[in-house]
Amino acid sequence: MYRSFFTPKRRAVAVAVSVALVATGCSSAGDTSGTTKLKMVFEPGPEADAMAVLVKDFNATAGKTDKVAVQIIQLSRTDTFAKEATVMATKSSEYDIYRTTSYLVAQHAPYLDPITLNESEYFPTAVNSLKVKGKLYGIPLDVSNHFLFYRQDLIAKMLADPAGYAAASQKVLGLSLTPKDPAEWNWNDYIASAAYFTKSVNPLSPTQYGTVLAAKNLSYNAMIWDDVLWSFGGSWTDSSGKAALTSEVAEKAVRVYSKIYTSGITSPDSTQAEFPETQAGLTAGNAAFAVQWGAGYAALADAATSPVTAGKIGIAPVPGETHATHVHALSIGINKYGKHKAQAKTFIDWLSSSKTMTKYVKAGGIAAMPKVLEANASTNAIFADISSSVSKYGFAEPNVPRAFDIYTALAADLSGAWVGEGNPKDALKKANESVAALLK
Amino acid sequence: MAAQFHRSGTRGARWILSAPLLVFLLLVVAYAAFSGIETSFQDRTLLNPEPSFTGFANYATVLNDSTFWSSLGFTVFYTVAVTVVELLLGFGLALLFDRGFPGKRWLLSVIIIPIMVAPSLMGIMFRLILNDNIGTIPAVFKAIGSDISLFSGSNVIPLVVALDLVQWTPFTFLLLYSALQSVPQELYEAASIDRAGYWRVVKSIIVPLIVPTLVITGFLRAIDAFRTFDTIYILTGGGPGTKTTTLSIYIYKVLSGGNFGVASAAAVIVALITLPLVPLVVGRITRGALANL
Repeated sequence: MYRSFFTPKRRAVAVAVSVALVATGCSSAGDTSGTTKLKMVFEPGPEADAMAVLVKDFNATAGKTDKVAVQIIQLSRTDTFAKEATVMATKSSEYDIYRTTSYLVAQHAPYLDPITLNESEYFPTAVNSLKVKGKLYGIPLDVSNHFLFYRQDLIAKMLADPAGYAAASQKVLGLSLTPKDPAEWNWNDYIASAAYFTKSVNPLSPTQYGTVLAAKNLSYNAMIWDDVLWSFGGSWTDSSGKAALTSEVAEKAVRVYSKIYTSGITSPDSTQAEFPETQAGLTAGNAAFAVQWGAGYAALADAATSPVTAGKIGIAPVPGETHATHVHALSIGINKYGKHKAQAKTFIDWLSSSKTMTKYVKAGGIAAMPKVLEANASTNAIFADISSSVSKYGFAEPNVPRAFDIYTALAADLSGAWVGEGNPKDALKKANESVAALLK
Repeated sequence: MAAQFHRSGTRGARWILSAPLLVFLLLVVAYAAFSGIETSFQDRTLLNPEPSFTGFANYATVLNDSTFWSSLGFTVFYTVAVTVVELLLGFGLALLFDRGFPGKRWLLSVIIIPIMVAPSLMGIMFRLILNDNIGTIPAVFKAIGSDISLFSGSNVIPLVVALDLVQWTPFTFLLLYSALQSVPQELYEAASIDRAGYWRVVKSIIVPLIVPTLVITGFLRAIDAFRTFDTIYILTGGGPGTKTTTLSIYIYKVLSGGNFGVASAAAVIVALITLPLVPLVVGRITRGALANL
């Protein structure tokens, strides 16, 4: 005879377990001790690792007192913002704290609550880049900008060989130049030096190529190209706010890239190069220098991760008649539609102290507070350079609502011309049309 | 009367048994499709939290975007290239494996490994293996004195096609190999009595019998290739320029900029391009199946 699996006793247990599970699910925002749990979006990577140290500290100290506990929800390194955007668009209260950045904050602003901070403690460029219509929507956590990283040992040899340098520059640029210290380079010096360190131009070169050109169709590479544009005095827009990518300086900036690529002084595979490929070119000893994100320095200086470059990496500003480096801040902001906004504010206030940010830099972050970076220069040698470079040469692109789309369009429209495919003028015309449409 | 009850009972049971699948389809497919179509007619971006009806404006934006057309052109080329070559290679391999040879089992296991790797992981692996500075393959090229650049403008399209062949030829091979196993042995014996040569057997017996499998395999590969994203996005980001931008990469980039309306319109257009193929293929398969009854 058939007997049901669900005997009365088993039925009672199943109901009890179900009720318990439902109750657990419903209490995700709090527990029996009355602690409010905050969910914070982050992308996996060094910033999340550094933030995890702070969150652990907060939950064990200030959070315990205020009955607030933060939980980091890591989405994916490359797709965090795309996934976050879909959640934001539904006005969801699932997350209490959103990840945002300088180049996305204008899009995110409708879903964030404005915050107030002691702005004087931060890099002005970083704070201003997170403002929309005068209101601050995120706390600057990490600051990102670019440097010229170069092999000091190789550059010393180049400086002692003016004849070889002049021959290399003559071959590639048609100019007989004299070698200079990297801190004084303009783009012709950059190209001539790369030629000197390229085997096909100078068979005595210790490296295969002079440099690594990050030319992949990627919005973050457009940020690096902006350094060249700004160094020539250009911008996305003119003084009236109209798209200005058909300018003479924009064409000069594209031609710098195409000259580097078509002269063969960077690897032909630079068409797919971005941050990791630039790092690989330097760590493998295949390139003598490159413009790279500041975050790359620690690995290049570390004997365990890069024995070829450890102790030999020099830091200089991005080349140009006028040195210029794109700066953006990585940030977090409070979900306007969240259910625990007061508690989220408590956490952000805790993060805003220089004491907390000191812990952050010791954990691997690059705080947007100049004094904190300078005081912790012994933790990472690049901190002092970031502090001076951001202050002296830092720029933020126009803080327009569709800034991220503009980076994406620039990369799509110009990355072919960067590597000598098509006419730079046609590419810039298309980019100008894209930017003009995105500025509307 | 009893028969009538029986028929209506059967009909009811059909619906009851299908209900879970139908509910699942309604929730996962129909709702998502309806929502996507609705969004495609809305001015819906991150900047505009209150969406409004915008007619066909998003469709016009997509159709006026030259990147959409270049992406469509590349996607069609890529789909046709990989589907045709993979069918040919898969068929060739199936014929080879249909004959016994030493080490066949071992080789079969090795050949099917690539389809077990996730495409995104494949992209990351290739990104390392093909890296000019640290990759194995460029190192081999350099060792033999070749200065070929795999990612240069002229080589990047053949490269992404070749990588798809590496990953998905085993798929066409497996399906076609299993189809070959089902060809009745008597037909081979009859052909042998008639003194038909090997290629005559392939042409007159094997190919006609496995046409339905060829069609379904080609269809599956074409649909999959048409929506390729992972490997190409990881390797080239769709570049240089927009040279390797597939429609999926195009839609993703529009979506990641928070332009939900335009991205949905592009997705609907892509669906409209591919949907007419479905009845054609289903008709061909059904005809094949009926003919075999």
